[in-house]
Amino acid sequence: MSIPRRDWAIVRPPDRLTTMALAEAFTFEGVVLVRDGRRILDGVSDHVHRGETTAVVGPSGSGKSTFLRLLNRFEDPTEGVILLDGQPLSSYEVHALRRRVGLVAQRPTMLAETIVQEVRVGRPDLEDAAVVRLLERVALPDVRLGDPTSTLSGGEQQRVALARTLALDPEVLLLDEPTSSLDDISAQAVDRIIRSLVDDGLTAVLVSHDLSRVVHVADSVLVLHQGRLVERGRPGEVRYLS
Amino acid sequence: MNGSPHIPDWLGVLASVVLVGIAIGVSMRARLGLTKELVVAAARAFAQLLAVGAVLTVLFTRAGLIGALAWVAGMVVVAGFVASGRARALPRARTIAWIAVGTGTAVTVGVLLAVGVIEPVPSVVVPVGGMVVSGAMTAAIVTMRRLAEVAQEQRADIEARLALGLTSEDAMAPHLRRSVTVALLPAIDSTKVVGLIALPGAMTGLILAGVEPIVAVRYQIVVMYMLLAAASVSAIVASRLCRRALFDDADRLRRLPGGSPRM
Repeated sequence: MSIPRRDWAIVRPPDRLTTMALAEAFTFEGVVLVRDGRRILDGVSDHVHRGETTAVVGPSGSGKSTFLRLLNRFEDPTEGVILLDGQPLSSYEVHALRRRVGLVAQRPTMLAETIVQEVRVGRPDLEDAAVVRLLERVALPDVRLGDPTSTLSGGEQQRVALARTLALDPEVLLLDEPTSSLDDISAQAVDRIIRSLVDDGLTAVLVSHDLSRVVHVADSVLVLHQGRLVERGRPGEVRYLS
Repeated sequence: MNGSPHIPDWLGVLASVVLVGIAIGVSMRARLGLTKELVVAAARAFAQLLAVGAVLTVLFTRAGLIGALAWVAGMVVVAGFVASGRARALPRARTIAWIAVGTGTAVTVGVLLAVGVIEPVPSVVVPVGGMVVSGAMTAAIVTMRRLAEVAQEQRADIEARLALGLTSEDAMAPHLRRSVTVALLPAIDSTKVVGLIALPGAMTGLILAGVEPIVAVRYQIVVMYMLLAAASVSAIVASRLCRRALFDDADRLRRLPGGSPRM
């Protein structure tokens, strides 16, 4: 399966209305995930639309992180199937899939000593100029490439982790509670970055336990409760267990 | 120094029971509550060593090279049980331990025999094999335990690398290197300081048996080198096999017993 590659610097942002009109990126068909005898996800069927930000919200234990981890095959369904562009996820070469569907964890782990090494973990061939462009993309224009990652704040580490994932030119970004541990200013900065990435044609799926955290950034919201999909709609429409 | 080795006769052994008596006396005086443990330990050591001595006597006189190698293989099997017991959380721990210790032993003893460093007789192959198995087992245990801990404690780090499309081999590379290094440090350190801190076992045995120290060191040098080889091969093989056992066919880090589940 060939993976189309793009470069942030040369691709013109696609028309947002056009991308909105595109078909589903992911399709869930009767997805069940049982772990240790417990149904973590219980018959989820829905779509994640291409070129949109889809927020998956729900209380702790609702299965929302598992939902995210299914999309890059950190988990596989016990029953049912997940399709990407109409093909089962399992039909893609798994490492290529993970480069195409990038995941940023809730508390990003820094894997290298310096910022430039960090951004290059998945793309060792990346030139300095490309690293600088990626850091600008995640609103970190002033950091020095040789600065140690250990001195970055939580919000800065989150954005460096995002740049590290964007270095792979993913089509889809999976974000697990991207702003939950950040202060309001850092959270707003991350929201703006997500928004602009989606405006540039990326598909984003983000997970949050707090609907108010995602209402400004999401195009559509899926609500999970005890492993079941209980609500779906535009951010202003869903009630989220109220 | 030459002449008949000075080895205690059975009367001497009986006299040494006085030393156990001293240990028991100290224990009782200090109310350590270890009297029973000391008696059992002393009795077990006596019985076990007597049995091993009898078996080895038969082995050395009748078994030949094949019998000696079979004995070493038996030690590998036992070492596999011990090593896997120390890394229970790891999938396929026993098989990993057997293959790692077996490979480390086979390579080391094989080279020693092939280049004629040791004589192909049971009285040499069995004790040398025992030392090699022991060194290989220690290295395998440290590697396996360390990697089981890494899989549980460094899950976020490993998954962050996998999420960037890295293979499990690449994602684990830093951890494998560190685990093997930790496993090899004791063998490297004891090789560095050999003779400076304490006289090592093989050399001590030879000196007690009446061999000139300058001759005994030749054997000890070989022993140190073979322990380095056994530990290195065993640790490397164990680390490779652990890496395979820790990931499934979609390059996902398996959940080990005791790890925290994600919702």
